[in-house]
Amino acid sequence: MTIIALILSILLGTISLAIGYAQGGFAGYSLWFLLLAAIWLLTHFRKWYWFSSIALLIVILAAAFGVWNEFPTVWMLLGALGGLLGWDLSDFARRLSYAAPMDDTRGMERLHMERVGIVAALGLGLALLSVFIHVQRLAFEVAVGLVLLAALGLTRLVIGLRKY
Amino acid sequence: MPRSLLLSLLTYALLLAGIATVKGEFIALALPLVTYLIVGYLQAPEKIRLEATRHLSIERTSPNSNVDVTVTVTNRGSTLEEILLADALPAGLTVRSGFSRHLLRLAKGESFTFAYTVSGPRGGYVFDALDVKVNDHLAVSSSRIRVEAKGRLFVLPPVTRVRNIAIRPRRTRVYAGTIPARAGGAGTDFFGVRDYQPGDPPSAINWRASARYVDKLFANEFQQERVADVGIVLDGRLRTNEFARGHSLFEYSVQAAASLSDALLNQGNRVGLLIYASYLAWTFPGYGKIQRERILHALANAKTGESQVFSDLEHIPTRLFPPETQMVLVSPLSEDDFAPLTQLRAQGYEVMVVSPNPVKFELSYLSANETIQLAGRVIQMERALLLQKMGRAGIHVLDWDVTEPFDLFVKRRLGRSPVWLRAIGR
Repeated sequence: MTIIALILSILLGTISLAIGYAQGGFAGYSLWFLLLAAIWLLTHFRKWYWFSSIALLIVILAAAFGVWNEFPTVWMLLGALGGLLGWDLSDFARRLSYAAPMDDTRGMERLHMERVGIVAALGLGLALLSVFIHVQRLAFEVAVGLVLLAALGLTRLVIGLRKY
Repeated sequence: MPRSLLLSLLTYALLLAGIATVKGEFIALALPLVTYLIVGYLQAPEKIRLEATRHLSIERTSPNSNVDVTVTVTNRGSTLEEILLADALPAGLTVRSGFSRHLLRLAKGESFTFAYTVSGPRGGYVFDALDVKVNDHLAVSSSRIRVEAKGRLFVLPPVTRVRNIAIRPRRTRVYAGTIPARAGGAGTDFFGVRDYQPGDPPSAINWRASARYVDKLFANEFQQERVADVGIVLDGRLRTNEFARGHSLFEYSVQAAASLSDALLNQGNRVGLLIYASYLAWTFPGYGKIQRERILHALANAKTGESQVFSDLEHIPTRLFPPETQMVLVSPLSEDDFAPLTQLRAQGYEVMVVSPNPVKFELSYLSANETIQLAGRVIQMERALLLQKMGRAGIHVLDWDVTEPFDLFVKRRLGRSPVWLRAIGR
């Protein structure tokens, strides 16, 4: 189950970026993303799990580059999300490889998929909301201040919750 | 790089890019990463309190026998979403069946039991703790702990039963045993004839000797049989035991020392053991089954070693052994061992050497070409000369070809005929 989800995530991330780049007029780069997907899968099956971190970095940088060049944001978001899921599932598959055959890996896989699915949906939902909902009278500087405040608040919240 | 660090760096890079470029889309890109991090941190285990117990199916066994190890881990803290248990196996043991590593979810108060089977060569093995890695289910935060679960396993050397080892130390102890004491008294072996004394049983009268005198009676005297002090010295020097291609005679030496100590203790003797390797491992002399266990435990932990101080036998600490003790050295021997052994003999010790034959041992696995055969013959002659010199110096040397079972070898070379056979003069 994890492997199928991993393949789908990697394909989602790379194909989204490829489409986004193609729509932005950088069609020549699209093939590189497909190549990245192939290498990522190959390294995963060769158990070179360290590559997934590099792949995530590449995908996020590529998405950021796409955003900078004003390619369709949705494809960039989907690309980043696919990269994140691929990175997570690759590491989860590595951790599952330590399990003994009699361990309840199927149960753990199911639970992980459910939770990662919720996280992905929540992240994508929030990102899409932030893209499509614009407050007209809010200056960018104010927005940045609010984001920083939110980040600070979230950090404090996490620290506080971990104590209890 | 930790997963949380990578994600945090990417998140902050995107936020900074958003601020620098005045583009909200960068912030939007960061949001899935932020969500992932927050959910991961929120589900990090609050407190980790694990307890573990270990049970071994047997705590002392023979080499390469299977031992079942059962470990139970109980979660006394909060629910752990993902926990990787890895039992740290002592070096030398091999898992034969089952698994010593498990990945699971452990709810609060829940226990998990796993079992596996191990086996290994001779040695003393200490199970110490389990390596535990606890993650939240996204593995954003992770912590490693060691949960103590102690256990000890002794893989003892094989003991072949040897009976009636005939030794003749100069001095015996006061307790009755099986070793001829060089003194007249109650016993089974004829010792001599003396004047009949009132109180001697009529059966003790030597009628043949008495018939020669008109007014005198003579009585037979028998040799007293007592227990003795025996010091076993196991030679663990690397240079005498280890050979090319990883072959070693040491296991044979250990087996011989174990069998000899077992037999000598069974005869009621007081036996001590000195392992002479990179350091001296001394087992204080004692009697009986407890001493047998002590010696077997010491032999289980015996290893070959090398040190400049103990590179030859000159430094055998004779103060550990009472004067005129029977000393049994188990060693493949090297040429320069002659002088220290004769010195021991000169100090009054009765010295017996059980020597696993290194030449025959090496020849048994080397290719049988002409050069090797010739070299083997030359070395064998040198060894024969060394053993002959030792024999002349009053050292009792037993040259053991390790292809022959030790019990048969001892029976042939050291066996003492039973009482009924000795009674008829055989």
